[in-house]
Amino acid sequence: MAGINKWKLMSLAALAAVVLVLPQVVKSSFAIDIFIRILLFSFIGVAWNLMGGYAKQLSLGHAAYFGLGAYTSTIMQVDFGISPWIGMVAGGIVAMLASLPIGWLCFRLRGPYFTIATIATAQALMLIFLKFRDFAWGAEGTTIPNLGSSPLMMQFEAKASYYYVVLGLLVLGLAITLRIERSWMGYYLVAIGEDEDAAEAIGVNAPRIKRDIYMISAFLTALAGTFYVQYIYFIDPATAFSFNISIEAALVSIVGGIGTLWGPVIGTVLLETTSALLQSWLGSSTGGVQLTVYALILMAVILWRPTGLIGIVTDAYQRHVNRKPARA
Amino acid sequence: MLETLAQAVINGLLIGGIYALVSIGVTLIFGVVKIVNFAQGEFVMIGMYISFYLATQFGIDPIASLVVSMPVLFIVGVLIQHFLIRRVLGPNDMPQIFLTFALSLLLLNLALMLFTANYRTVHTSYSDEAFHLAGLYIPVAKLIAFVVAMGLSGALWVFLHTTDLGKAMRAAAQNRDVATLMGINPNRVFCVALGVALALAGAAGSLLMPFYSAYPFVGQVFVLMAFVAVVLGTLGNVMGALIASLMMGVAESLGIQFVGADSGLIVVFAMLLLTLAFKPNGLGGGRVR
Repeated sequence: MAGINKWKLMSLAALAAVVLVLPQVVKSSFAIDIFIRILLFSFIGVAWNLMGGYAKQLSLGHAAYFGLGAYTSTIMQVDFGISPWIGMVAGGIVAMLASLPIGWLCFRLRGPYFTIATIATAQALMLIFLKFRDFAWGAEGTTIPNLGSSPLMMQFEAKASYYYVVLGLLVLGLAITLRIERSWMGYYLVAIGEDEDAAEAIGVNAPRIKRDIYMISAFLTALAGTFYVQYIYFIDPATAFSFNISIEAALVSIVGGIGTLWGPVIGTVLLETTSALLQSWLGSSTGGVQLTVYALILMAVILWRPTGLIGIVTDAYQRHVNRKPARA
Repeated sequence: MLETLAQAVINGLLIGGIYALVSIGVTLIFGVVKIVNFAQGEFVMIGMYISFYLATQFGIDPIASLVVSMPVLFIVGVLIQHFLIRRVLGPNDMPQIFLTFALSLLLLNLALMLFTANYRTVHTSYSDEAFHLAGLYIPVAKLIAFVVAMGLSGALWVFLHTTDLGKAMRAAAQNRDVATLMGINPNRVFCVALGVALALAGAAGSLLMPFYSAYPFVGQVFVLMAFVAVVLGTLGNVMGALIASLMMGVAESLGIQFVGADSGLIVVFAMLLLTLAFKPNGLGGGRVR
């Protein structure tokens, strides 16, 4: 036991050190932008993975909560001058509440049709925000007033500050995942993911567990939405409820390793690095190239490594551990 | 008023015929192979581009190019089943959902790279023709599309009910294990199901070409409609999907007529949400999944 803990602690400490000093060492704003994207989509992936990975409720509609979080904080800030830090939590609560009726509808279907229903709810929300222009600026969206350096309003001069904010979000997401993974709820989630009928037969209250995890997942996804619009200073329905957000949330988890703590992070590092490389090679004229490559990676993972790339890491780790005597 | 209403219903029925071709494909694959083909819309798109190129390069009438688009997509379907889908069939939903989803993403973005996002149209001699019947306006191109679509649906029904292969497909849909015990080769049946479903999508593409623009995202419009129609018509039920598609076409058309030009999608989503809330097993009853 001690051996494993020592190794785990050492690698975690090394990782933490690298991640913390990274923006101090790397000054290129292009690079920091990529790091922020990696952290942000890791966080969204972690939020998705709680429900999609552990309980295998494969949503492709998480943009709904991303958008609700983004719009809640922006409306509060632009119309009422309330700090996005408060708006962020408020957005999370709005998303949590929205997940109740949405879940009530979508959980009536299982498997692929659940997935389709989630797509439809996110698209429907986007249409609502496109239509009601008095309420939320309609299709044009709005820019978020730039106050210069104003940490209390979640606005920073240095890109590195945004980096630490989203790093904090990711740590929060990972901590919640770890907590759930090791609780009864985690076991219930995995049981539901394996076989929902069997889980119910042995007394797991599947509808309640699914509802609860959907609320947590929606809450976290909404936080990412607030952060994102604060970072890009702009919001419109097409950005906030973009289907690409829903796709990427699921994709990074599946490519990295569905239903694992670090899977979404590993998946995001691979996909976002690929995307950044493609962008620097091909310039901005990449219409379709990035998603073509994503699709090919996704197909390759599904056909040859359905447990995700994390399997490669854990296999190597297991081999390493197995070579040591007395695992205790 | 009554005339406007009748006109809206007719418009809806005519486009509903195209939706039916797409929905029948989706429900056939779901019924037989038990997977949802997220890429079905992209095969409509491919059918459209096939017809577009045959029309612009060789002057072949888009509707006549059915004889090319259907066999080509049939073969594509067989290959996709044999080399891709066969490998992910199992108790786990994730690989099945995301394999066809990845396929959709791939085809869509390849189309974006190859054909650009431009809208492509084919102008035929009958594109602007229309019958005027008791004050109603019936465009020839849409009428032909509707008649051919209904003809193909009827042919599929006959195929499923009278031929050995069709009966084998229905048997596999009802109970795969028992069908296998009766000597039905599941992979062969699945290949035919995929082939037929994709051929129908290709037919939909060719039939659309005289009055609709081809662009990489065009399939998304139709697949969304098809998914809703398939839920509404009870999953896996071919006749249900046909009737539900015609209903969806009419509902969309009434929405456009009486609510606003861009309300088509809202009507679709409203119908999906209402179906889920009140009739989650579809109008025909039956069990989910």
